[in-house]
Amino acid sequence: MINLFRAGIVMLVFLSGCGSETPTHPNNFTPLTSIKIVAVTPSIAAHTSIKLTAIGDFSGLYTRDITDQVAWASNAPTVADFANAGSPGRVTGQAPGVAKLTATKGNVTASYQLTVSNATVTALAISPVAPTVPKGLTTQFTFTGTFSDTTTQDLTYDVTWGSDTSSVATVSDDAGSKGLAQTHLVGSSTISAKFYDQAPVTAVLTVTAPQLQSITITPASSTLLSLSTVPFQATGHYSDGATPDVTSQVVWSSSRPDIATVAGGTAKTLIEGTTSISASLDSVSGAASIKVTGGNLTGITISPANTKLVKNTTTRIAATGTFSNGATRDITALVQWSIANPAIATTSAPGVNLAWLTAVTETPLSTPTKLIAKVGSLTAETNLTVIAPLLSSILITANRTDLTAGTGDRFTLTGSFNDGTKQDLTFSSNWTSGNVAIATVTNTAEVSKGRVTGVAPNVTPVTISATYGGITATMPVTIKVRTLESLEISGPANITSGKQEMFIAKAHYNDGTQIVTEDAVWTIDKPNVAILADALNQPGQVVAVDSGTATLTATFGGKTQAVNFLVP
Amino acid sequence: MKRTSRILITLCMPLLLCGTALAQHSGPYVGAFVGGNSLATAKSTDDQGAFNLEFKPALQGSAVVGWDMEHNNTLGEGRVELEYSRRSNKIDQVGLLEGKFKGSGSLTMDSLLINGFAVFSDKTFWAPYFGIGIGVARIVADNLQVTGQPLSNDTALVFAYQVGAGLDLILTDYLSLDLGYRFLSSTKPKFKEINGRSFETEYFNHSAVFGFRVGF
Repeated sequence: MINLFRAGIVMLVFLSGCGSETPTHPNNFTPLTSIKIVAVTPSIAAHTSIKLTAIGDFSGLYTRDITDQVAWASNAPTVADFANAGSPGRVTGQAPGVAKLTATKGNVTASYQLTVSNATVTALAISPVAPTVPKGLTTQFTFTGTFSDTTTQDLTYDVTWGSDTSSVATVSDDAGSKGLAQTHLVGSSTISAKFYDQAPVTAVLTVTAPQLQSITITPASSTLLSLSTVPFQATGHYSDGATPDVTSQVVWSSSRPDIATVAGGTAKTLIEGTTSISASLDSVSGAASIKVTGGNLTGITISPANTKLVKNTTTRIAATGTFSNGATRDITALVQWSIANPAIATTSAPGVNLAWLTAVTETPLSTPTKLIAKVGSLTAETNLTVIAPLLSSILITANRTDLTAGTGDRFTLTGSFNDGTKQDLTFSSNWTSGNVAIATVTNTAEVSKGRVTGVAPNVTPVTISATYGGITATMPVTIKVRTLESLEISGPANITSGKQEMFIAKAHYNDGTQIVTEDAVWTIDKPNVAILADALNQPGQVVAVDSGTATLTATFGGKTQAVNFLVP
Repeated sequence: MKRTSRILITLCMPLLLCGTALAQHSGPYVGAFVGGNSLATAKSTDDQGAFNLEFKPALQGSAVVGWDMEHNNTLGEGRVELEYSRRSNKIDQVGLLEGKFKGSGSLTMDSLLINGFAVFSDKTFWAPYFGIGIGVARIVADNLQVTGQPLSNDTALVFAYQVGAGLDLILTDYLSLDLGYRFLSSTKPKFKEINGRSFETEYFNHSAVFGFRVGF
């Protein structure tokens, strides 16, 4: 019953989700009862102007500027008139005298008495006299006149503005923006202002190089796995509208370097948390936020464990991280590999998530050396024994020998030695194809070594050969053309944040099915939810990043299939 | 018909949540309620912008006719009723761009709702209840004015809904008093303004009611 009442309260709160907001509707209901005309001075010189403002009083409840809503009129247009289109309320003195000016809205009228004096100009000044403005920016010039009656007036509106080098800068003579200069090119231009029958007054406007106004970092907000490395880009926004890439010019910093560090635009995440990275240049900075998920590294596991390797052979090694949230994922790319006795074996890491171990010298069985993996302050190690038995035979094995044109499959070479040892020699042997126009086989030192790919259909099987220790093994392969009917993806529906999971793509042909995980092109729509582990060395493998639902898509043979999965 | 059945099932759903304790009364009943209500400040909009209508609290009244579910009813213990209620709140102020201004006129809602209440009886003289109701309402914007100037004088018909909770005080097998709370809302009524425009507004009403029910 208590739960029911709680539900009721929640429902009430939901239903009560209402209330006022800041009003934007003007009060058009209350009638205007009076108008007041306001001016900075009741007297102006002839050939100058002044801006009048009409303030409406609405029944004594509120006032509002209604300058642009009233009808302006002068009872003596030869003395003062409102012939200033684009600037409501601006009145120009035409000749000495007194004019009664009126502002009318509906049946409400206000009047203002303006005197146009016969004062003459004694001094004119433009301001600023020598401004320096970065390219792309504007600056406002003003013009002030001093008159024989010791008064001064702002004549910005009353002069004619011009620029002698309009390619460098232009200055507006329009009613709504008189004196506003716009810069275009680096250089200088003489800005002139001419009042009535006076000689022009000038100022020199110097346009300097574009000024950096802001910096944006992309992505602006990202969710990243711990112990990952991600590039960021800084874009400068300059006063002339240019937006160059300034990634290499800015100074990068992280507000929480214990969570993520950043250098040269590349962020390296360390532990879970949130940090802000910033890029600064010329006292301007931009920022981006990073949320680090996937747990903190607590342990490392090396595979294969307790390795026994035949001298002069190579095998692939990997490291799996265990994280504080219980997730596990491949961290081979992060590991520093070493051998306790470097004379026994060597390691190399030629690619992301790809590392090799090569046996060099035999070790006594009773004293194996150690293969060591180190990430930060964490290390893991496993025994490594190198033996030197005599090779007895080798054998190629494959999942299938009738491949479909355009697809591939991994072939494995297994060696048998005189001490009973059997070892995968795929990465240590030399692979060749009897007809590369029919089928190719990868023979370079990469994870796909030994992978046979069908090129064109054949009638007579093509021979795939692998040679090791002077012995050659062969496997006949047939390449067929099959009609792809559909594509299927299988994998987990839920993946814990930070965990790496495998998805499998299966092609359904007219005469059977074939795994095409390594042949398909994989994409994920939301990198803040999940990412592909390593498209080259771990195809089809996904690492969950943060809560949400993402769509994994596989494309193969002109077919596309998508599957959704949840990161809780 | 199918839609009607769904509505009835929805209204009876709260009854599934209560136990099957002995009911004090089963069968038809009538009742009447009075109380006070507060109409929340209503955000209103027309093509010139948003403004707020603020209302004064007011009294309200309602009458119900319904059916007390009998003990061991498969739907649980509770009641289903038809309720007519009337609320009329005078406008206090109108919030516009320039500030708040005195308003006048009133917003009156006449609602006709079908209510379903779950009653949680444990054989004591009191029993809490909780329920929901849906129906229609007629809302009258009666001579709404801002600073004495006309805003609207119009009527709108809207879909209305409410949730309610309270206590039944069981005096006899056939007479009980009811002390309750109701939250009543509706889809946004749309009213024509005097100037030819029209505005939409909100209706969120909180009320405390006291009444009686007599069973037969």
